[in-house]
Amino acid sequence: MGRGHSTQWPRGMVARGRLRHAGWTASVAILVFLFLLPLLPSVTNSTLFTLTLMLTTVGVAVNWNLTGGFTGYVDFGHAVWFGIGAYTTAILVSLQSNGPQIGWSPIPAIGLGALVAGLLAAVIGRATMRLKGPYFSIAMLGTFVAMREIVRVSGITGGGVGLTLPPYLNRPLFYYIQLVLVVALVTFTWWLRRTRFGAALVAIREDEIGAEMRGIDTTHFKVSVFSFAGFSTGLFGGLWAYQNTFVDPDIAFVEVRTVDAVMSTMLGGLGTVAGPVVGAVALYWLREVLWANLLDYHLLTQGALLIVIVLFIPRGLVGLVDRRGTSVTTLWGRWLGRGVDRTKQEDEP
Amino acid sequence: MTALLEARGVVKRFGGLTALDHVDITVGEGEMVGLIGPNGSGKTTLFDCLSRVSNVDEGSITFDGKDITRLRPHQVARLGMSRTFQVIRVYRDLTVSENLELSIQWEDLSAAGLFTKTDPGTRRKVESLLEFLLLAPLRNERAGVLSGGQRRLLEIGMALMSEPRLVLLDEATSGVNPTLVVDIADRLREVNRSGGVAFLLVEHNVRFVADLCQRVVVLDRGAKLAEGAPSRIMQDPAVVEAYFGAEGEGRK
Repeated sequence: MGRGHSTQWPRGMVARGRLRHAGWTASVAILVFLFLLPLLPSVTNSTLFTLTLMLTTVGVAVNWNLTGGFTGYVDFGHAVWFGIGAYTTAILVSLQSNGPQIGWSPIPAIGLGALVAGLLAAVIGRATMRLKGPYFSIAMLGTFVAMREIVRVSGITGGGVGLTLPPYLNRPLFYYIQLVLVVALVTFTWWLRRTRFGAALVAIREDEIGAEMRGIDTTHFKVSVFSFAGFSTGLFGGLWAYQNTFVDPDIAFVEVRTVDAVMSTMLGGLGTVAGPVVGAVALYWLREVLWANLLDYHLLTQGALLIVIVLFIPRGLVGLVDRRGTSVTTLWGRWLGRGVDRTKQEDEP
Repeated sequence: MTALLEARGVVKRFGGLTALDHVDITVGEGEMVGLIGPNGSGKTTLFDCLSRVSNVDEGSITFDGKDITRLRPHQVARLGMSRTFQVIRVYRDLTVSENLELSIQWEDLSAAGLFTKTDPGTRRKVESLLEFLLLAPLRNERAGVLSGGQRRLLEIGMALMSEPRLVLLDEATSGVNPTLVVDIADRLREVNRSGGVAFLLVEHNVRFVADLCQRVVVLDRGAKLAEGAPSRIMQDPAVVEAYFGAEGEGRK
């Protein structure tokens, strides 16, 4: 039992501590740089728009990580909340009548769009989160597809033609809004993970029956975080719609948005706070820089990247220094319902 | 003795198989009851029904006078019943301390308490349990890297953390070395005597049950075969036959 055994700091733990410290320092430096970036004369509106889209990918990945990484519910339809936020915003700001202009101003429209996404997530989550593993994932994929088709045939959404929003192209403003939102979201996630609420989410991921049996109302916790993720992704959807000045079902409800969120989180580190941020930035960089030069092979590169993650860095890039997340292989095992039968070897540090 | 847990006529079917056939069981306040039986006799299924991990097809279960037959597991846990599992269920990616911190009495938490880190009272309780269960040197280790015996101890600690009135222990000594079995028995006895915590133990280690329990219930093929004091049960020919085969063949 190790009586009399004294606790020592293993060398690996000390190294990881130093790396974490370096990570914090680098994060602050990058943040200062990002806030000063629009002031540089060489930075164009196009660059700012690209960075704003990257921040959108980061935000959606952080939200996906709340349900997929922390709670272990792998959501294949997360982009539905983005589409709902985008469409609600688009409908509200483009309202027209024969008389005076009745379109909403952007801030309340985007806010209501997020709220609608959050409320729908609460309703749909209460039904779908009774399901486990692949059943939940497929139910969410079904929700995503069904919602896109509802939008395609509805009159208020403009059907397949979509909606055009009034132009408002202040790129630096939207860049700053999204930067502040992403920083706030990451800070919120960091804080949440340290609370009992966050720990309960991890307990659900680790062993839902065990968590229930230890007094955690798992339905309440997982639906709450799912609704928040829906709200937050809806917020990014609304902001995107306003900047894009146009929405139709095929660009607002696009599967790749979910795939990007899943891949970003896996690449960065499932269930870690910084993982989805690092993963989304890396993925965006790959797409913009590398894949632009390897257009014919970009899907091959993406597939190869997935294989590399699973085989060599199952805990993701951040997982190399932060052990508080989980690995792709473990999550995959739980997803398939083998949660409590994992081998000892898999658990070794 | 007042009945803390009372199950009447519990029936559980899996398709055409009747896993539990009108089983009655009672555990009194502060009592230690053993539940034994051969493999497949329905012990773990009964535990699952009592802790509401599984639904019952017929019968009723009351805990502290309240009907819990249709409650969810977390509601039963909040009433004061906790359990361990045959296949150990600890949160492997969390540290030993975090595992215990997460096994508090959630009902006592305010909304503000939910959104704070653990409080000094919980930390003290965790430290005291870590010492009590000989896990203190491992407090910052991930539960996934512990040995099987250490995980068993941790799971028992998690069951005790919420200060329950009844603990269902499912094969607490399975895969545990003999020295540790003695430690576990000592600690359970201490918790029972000092805290008045009742225990219902599923065990294959008959000596462990006989040492600890005032009463033993024997299940065989989903039905109750016998019930009584350990010394009487061990001599019961029906139990001997069910457990060891006809005429106690191969008994050691």
